[in-house]
Order: sequence, then C-alpha cells, then structure tokens
Amino acid sequence: MVFVLSLICAASGLLMALVYDVTEAPIAEARLHKKDDAISKVLPPHDNDPATTTNTVEYGGEKWTFYMATKAGKYVGAACESISQEGYGGDIRVMVGITVDDKVYGIEVLSDHKETPGLGAQISQDTFCAQFADKPIGSTTWSVAKDGGDIDGVTAATISSRAVVSAVRAAAVDVYMNNKDAVYAEEVSE
Amino acid sequence: MKAYRQLIKGLWEENPIFRLVLGMCPTLAVTTSVENSIGMGIAATFVLVSSNAVIASIRRLIPRKVRIPCFIVVIATFVTIVELVMEGYANKLHGSLGIFIPLIVVNCIILGRAEAFASKNGLLLSIADGIGMGIGFTLGLVVLGACREVLGAGTITVWGDLKFQVHSMAPMILMIVAPGGFIALGCLLALMNHVQTVLARRQGRSFTPPAHLDCRHCTICKFGD
Repeated sequence: MVFVLSLICAASGLLMALVYDVTEAPIAEARLHKKDDAISKVLPPHDNDPATTTNTVEYGGEKWTFYMATKAGKYVGAACESISQEGYGGDIRVMVGITVDDKVYGIEVLSDHKETPGLGAQISQDTFCAQFADKPIGSTTWSVAKDGGDIDGVTAATISSRAVVSAVRAAAVDVYMNNKDAVYAEEVSE
Repeated sequence: MKAYRQLIKGLWEENPIFRLVLGMCPTLAVTTSVENSIGMGIAATFVLVSSNAVIASIRRLIPRKVRIPCFIVVIATFVTIVELVMEGYANKLHGSLGIFIPLIVVNCIILGRAEAFASKNGLLLSIADGIGMGIGFTLGLVVLGACREVLGAGTITVWGDLKFQVHSMAPMILMIVAPGGFIALGCLLALMNHVQTVLARRQGRSFTPPAHLDCRHCTICKFGD
C-alpha cells in the first residue's frame, strides 16, 4: 500500500521535474515579455531597450524604478510602474510613460487586475487609457470628472477609474515631478 | 464499436455538464467568453485523457484502500503539467483562466471518471471515455460561453484576434458576471430537459431519466406530465 503510493508519487515527481525543466525558460520569457511590451507601449519612439536601462528614485520611503527611453543617446522619456491599492478587486498595476517635456505619453493597465468583467475591467481598454496621452502633468487636474478632475471615468466603474488615476498621479505628479533630476540622472545603469 | 460508444456517450447521453451536472465550479466561473471555454475544455480534456490512460494501465497495482490518493496524485501531476505548459506557451490564456487551472485537480468529472470508469476498464476504453467526456465537457462550456458572451459582451471571441461582433446593442453585463452564469446554465438545463421531454412524447412515452444517472432527485423533466 505505502509502497505503491510512494512509487506513484516518485514517478509523478520525476515527470513534473522533467516538464518544469522544459518550460522554465519559456515561462520566464513570457513573464518578462509582458512587462517589456507594456514599457515599450507607453514610451515615445526610442532606439534602446528601456527594460534594461533603469534609474531608481527613492521617494516616500519607497523605491521607484524608471525605465528610460533614449534616442540617439538622449533621454526622450521615462516609464514607471505604479500600483494602486484602491481597486475594486485588489491591486491595479499601471505602467505610466512620461516624456522629457513633462507630459504623460501613455498609460497601460497591466492585465493582472481583478476588476469586474464588463465594468471595471474596461479600465484596460484604449477608450479609457487613450485620454491620458499628451496630458501635461503640471496643468492637469489628476482626478476623475466626477471629483472635478480632467479624466472621464468609465461609466459605472468610478472606483476602478479613480484607482487608475491615483496610480498615475502618484507616479507622475508625486514621484516624477519631485525627482526629475534623479530620474534623468546622467548615469545609466545597464 | 465498444470504444465508439464510450466516445459518443459524453456528447449527449452522459454529457458532464448538462446530464451529469458535474464540474460546476469551472463551468460557472470560466464561461465568460468562448475563448476561455475552449481553453478550459482543452486543458480538462488533456487531463481527463491522460489520467484515464495512466489509471487504467496501473489499475491492477493500486490497492483499493488508497485508490483515491493514488488517483489524485496522478491527476494533480497532469494538471501541473498543463499549468506549466500553458504559462510558458499560452500566457494570455493562463492569465484569464488563472486559479481555475490548478482547480482542475478537484474537478469531480476527472476524479469521477477515474473512479467510475478507468479503474474498472481497459486502456483503450478508458482513453475513449476520456476523449468523449472531454469533448462533451468542452462543447457544454462553449455553448454556455457563447450564450453568455453574446448577451454579455455582444461578441464571440474564438481565439485571440479571431473575434466576431454579433450585435452592437448595449450588452447585458449581468450575463458575464457570476449570477449570469447560474441563470444561463439554469435556462440551458431546462431547455435540454424540455427538448428531451418533447422528443419522448412524440414517440408516445413519458421521458424518464436513465436510472444510473444521478438526477432522480430532480423532477423538472416530469413537469407538465
């Protein structure tokens, strides 16, 4: 009885180890790829690999990693991941891209959020995300229209919309605007 | 011929979702779109066929007292394989099926087939049973997924970019959240029972569910007799 069960467990362990060995590399690549895609999407045209060109800023006791976009050796923009804990179904991760002239270039809501399908989940659609593009950080009121801001929230999903806006605000207004020197520091860590 | 019978019984006569009403957790949870349904169906079919095959071939070695732990170990192994492969090669699908992939382990269709069929029948019949049940499960999920997606989002997403806009009315969001799953499933079950009752009446007999299926507690198909 014990012998047979142990034998089955050993065989299954061996099989899983083999499969893990084969799939380890593709899984790591897929995870990386997801983030790379989001970074590239929110940054202006560049000729480097922003995922490996990072500057770290410390603000409010937290470390923020900025992925730097350069073109012909000059900075053209920076992207950073901002997490909002005010979502309707847990954390919402947003990749925020900013250009050197202090405008938001684009945002991408990373797809691992748990917002209500059909309602809050619409925050990851272009119809909502596109309105962030080209908004100057300084002269925009970063809250949803319902709260008197400049961003139109998703209908019937104010909580989710607020969460995204606050994530963008944290990254762009608080961290980026207060630490521009550190973000565009000369040294580029490879 | 015997294998063929095992193969087709899962489609209608013993359809896991509509006749056996098994595996309701993934059924209700992932059928928000056709794409998810197909992904879940393929994953469950793979696990079903592999575990049926392995259990049928080692059924004489397994002591009766520890048969359930043995089945679960075999099933869990294949589920882990599916999860690893899916995360590596179909990452987007893995994201949308999420927790329901590891939960295939406790899907009662799979343990049910292992206990009720594979542990008593030969390799070939068990594989046929696995394929039949798997296809029946997948079809059930797709039908349910299609109803919910058409009503709840107005589209049919077959796979990735292969997407059809069915209508452009304001979608009924209820259908793609959890309660919509119950409503759609209930309506489909009632419809299926109704069709069977009507078919039986045309042949001049009243519809009685097969005694070996556990639906004796339900009398919906006797309604109106």
